[in-house]
Amino acid sequence: MVSPPASLWYKDAVIYQVHVRAMHDSNGDGIGDFGGLAQKLDYLKELGINAIWLMPFFPSPLRDDGYDISDYYSIHPKYGTLDDFKTFLAAARERNIRVVIELVLNHTSDQHPWFQESRKSLDSPRRDWYVWSETDNRYHGTRIIFLDTEMSNWAWDPISKQYYWHRFFSHQPDLNYDNPAVREEMWNVMKFWLDLGVDGFRLDAVPYLVEREGTSCENLPETHSVIKELRQRLDENYPGKMLLAEANQWPADLQAYFGDGDEFHMAFHFPLMPRMFMALRLEDRKPITEILQQTPKIPDPCQWCLFLRNHDELTLEMVTDMERDYMYDEYARDKGMRLNLGIRRRLSPLLDNDRRRIELMNGLLMSLPGTPVIYYGDEIGMGDNIYLGDRHGVRTPMQWDGGWNAGFSGADPESLYSALILNPVYGYQAVNVERQKRSQHSLLNWTRRLLQVRKSTSIFGRGSIEFLYPANHRVLAFVRQLGNETVLAVNNLSASAQAVELDLSEFKGNILVEMFGRNIFPRVGELPYLLTLGPYQFYWFRLRRI
Amino acid sequence: MADESILSDDLVRQLMSVGEVDILVGLHTHDHADTIGPVVQAIREGLINHFPRERVAILNADAGSSDGTRDLIRAAGIDDARYRSKLQTLRTLHVISSQYGTTVSPGIAMHIFVEAADLLRARGCAVVSPDSSDIQPDWVDRLLQPVLRGNIDLVTPTYRRHRFEGILVTNLMYPMMRALYGRNVREPRPAEFAFSDRLSGLLVNHPMWSQDAGRLGPEVCVTIEALAEGFPLAQTYLGARSHLEQQPGDLVAALRQSVGPLFWAMESLDGTWDKIQGVQAVPTNGPEYEVTEGTVKGDLTRLRQMFSSGVADLAPVLKSILSPAVLQQLQQVASLPEEQFDFTDELWVKVVYEFASSYRRSVINRDHIIQALAPLYRGRAYHFITQNQDVAPDALEQRVEALCESFERLKPYLVSLWTAQERGV
Repeated sequence: MVSPPASLWYKDAVIYQVHVRAMHDSNGDGIGDFGGLAQKLDYLKELGINAIWLMPFFPSPLRDDGYDISDYYSIHPKYGTLDDFKTFLAAARERNIRVVIELVLNHTSDQHPWFQESRKSLDSPRRDWYVWSETDNRYHGTRIIFLDTEMSNWAWDPISKQYYWHRFFSHQPDLNYDNPAVREEMWNVMKFWLDLGVDGFRLDAVPYLVEREGTSCENLPETHSVIKELRQRLDENYPGKMLLAEANQWPADLQAYFGDGDEFHMAFHFPLMPRMFMALRLEDRKPITEILQQTPKIPDPCQWCLFLRNHDELTLEMVTDMERDYMYDEYARDKGMRLNLGIRRRLSPLLDNDRRRIELMNGLLMSLPGTPVIYYGDEIGMGDNIYLGDRHGVRTPMQWDGGWNAGFSGADPESLYSALILNPVYGYQAVNVERQKRSQHSLLNWTRRLLQVRKSTSIFGRGSIEFLYPANHRVLAFVRQLGNETVLAVNNLSASAQAVELDLSEFKGNILVEMFGRNIFPRVGELPYLLTLGPYQFYWFRLRRI
Repeated sequence: MADESILSDDLVRQLMSVGEVDILVGLHTHDHADTIGPVVQAIREGLINHFPRERVAILNADAGSSDGTRDLIRAAGIDDARYRSKLQTLRTLHVISSQYGTTVSPGIAMHIFVEAADLLRARGCAVVSPDSSDIQPDWVDRLLQPVLRGNIDLVTPTYRRHRFEGILVTNLMYPMMRALYGRNVREPRPAEFAFSDRLSGLLVNHPMWSQDAGRLGPEVCVTIEALAEGFPLAQTYLGARSHLEQQPGDLVAALRQSVGPLFWAMESLDGTWDKIQGVQAVPTNGPEYEVTEGTVKGDLTRLRQMFSSGVADLAPVLKSILSPAVLQQLQQVASLPEEQFDFTDELWVKVVYEFASSYRRSVINRDHIIQALAPLYRGRAYHFITQNQDVAPDALEQRVEALCESFERLKPYLVSLWTAQERGV
């Protein structure tokens, strides 16, 4: 087998998403830091991930969990120093773990010196670094994203007596990407971190970079031009580095962010994620197959990024009204679980702590086409706390053991950056790494095994997909192919045992080798291939012609 | 034959793929290509609009259509293998079509629906006529909603009808079933209806399926079973339903499909209906009846002549069925000139009750008894039409109500006939 080009490393990656604040506190101040994160790299290596996506760790007033950056060239003092970051980066590299950092391009904190300077006067040299207006009527019709907190995309600045544009919170003014100086500066920011050795950027909120009158101010050609320019510079100066888009859009609109292979390397497939949950509850594969049928082909070097949960709410922007109502009713009956157009819950509580469903969803995550992202703590089934407000309930400290502060920090419990999960079901004494390490059949050890099997072949990251459409709609079956290698995945989305007949005539004569136990299943013959699956069971078979 | 399943292997395979459902909609067809398209589209629209979250399947039991009926039905399915961007649905809409034979049999079709509903654990099953050209998408909702959310076990329809459409219903089936079972089910032989999993569970192994009554008039049997077992019932108004012209030869078939099962069930439910007294209203969503104006089609004079000649020609048969007094009254009516023709409620009720009693006693072949009722029914129909040509809809309903009261008032007469046999009288 020819080795795939190393520059496409992201296609074979399994990414672990974590906030440095939440992983481990090495200095006892109650807040996770880079020293603590470095200590946990062996755990991550053992888990089987090979890339880390770090959420924003820059200096920030932390009014939006670090997505309100006030200095792009440094580390928030609570998380350590730049040297600590370099040490962490080197330790990750030693373990062949890539590091992707998050960059918020669209906006800064209103505390950023750029904005402070910009708002000083209309004549400020940085005035044009942000989007100012005499009135709040410009770009009328642009949707408001944070419906629960914001009334307008414009905010009045009492200092310079003008309105400034913000697509997110009013304390996050949008940068003006029509200004070449802004574009230059953001490239300088990227260069700074690339020179330190990061492997890529997850670029936040990319559809909103440029505004134009009479448009939705999303996905504009001018926005794509900005991205193309950054990508060109990246390829020329830092080959092998990767850009990942956060663009919560429909697949057809997302396609543009890959360009002709000259914009993003990867983009999150936002519409797929809620449909996986929907399919599970409906016990019907239709939501998944339909959205993937609608997903356009992307250039060869590009890749979808898949996830089940992340640091935000389970977003329901990319679903129909009917689907959203269904999701709310099925997954967030308690209105406290809802936020904006989404559901602020972790994977395990969403799935009623049902091990079989958690395994099935992870199986899908690892076998559908794309690069999977695991949100920290989901590998052990951590719970959430909706009473912490905003999205803080899914950002609680990692639960390492059943001891003091869950092994997260030696500080007084009251000084932790966030309360720990304490309830009897999901609390750290019940759900923690140490306990699960000791149990051969724990979710943690099962996840490790899952990643081992996924990484045993490049087919899941790079192979094609073809859906089978067995008459039983509770079963999702698809064939992944790469070169002469073929894998069949069969997933029972229902809570009851299912029988399914698969048309494998194309593979007549092959035997099926189950990839987890390596057991041999009967050879494919003339008749439809009959399989039975237990509740929420899934199989991955390697097809072998012997 | 006894061990042979009503569900073919192919159908079982298809049902296996569908799995558990919340709603099953049954469609019995035979060469209905001319009408089935709008019907199945309305069903689909109704299911999508009113039950978007429920697991649903449409089951077609076909008697060997050769006009493409089954293809038209299958095309209504919504699945992921045939992606259609304009349709917004949460779920797969399963459509199954199965040919059960080459001879039309309402009983086999209904038995298939009941077995499939039970096998798939459908909470509600609606049966829709394949020629209901007036069907609206909300019929599905009106039929199934009370079952799924109202704890009702049988929902029968009420329609807006032409004033003289369904005389067999208004002059026999409705009043007699009301008298027997104490509930005012306006359409005891419904073309559209819905039933619950509780009722389908009872019906699965019911002896009706091996009897002519169940084979010919399963809808009547189902209604009676629900009444006799005390299942919660409801009626729902569906609006207009197009009247399909009845061929002259269809009357005997209609009697076999309606009166036959009614009489048969009286025997099996002996000890139930004879103890029921009074009438309890069935909750109705919408009007219980609605009548449209219009003239009578067909030759009324011929109707009367067929009655008179039937009474004469069938005198030996009628003699074995009816009491001498009732037969004599009938013969008198048959001999009356047109302007004096008067087939009274009381005489009609006694005729029907004596037919029922004779059916039980099998005084002659039971099918011959049913056939012998045809000319008498024509006389009663003639009387009903001529007496009510010009009355207002409410007055017409009062006439029907009066007939019902006659059936109820004379129920002791029926019971005495019934028990006379037991007493050896």
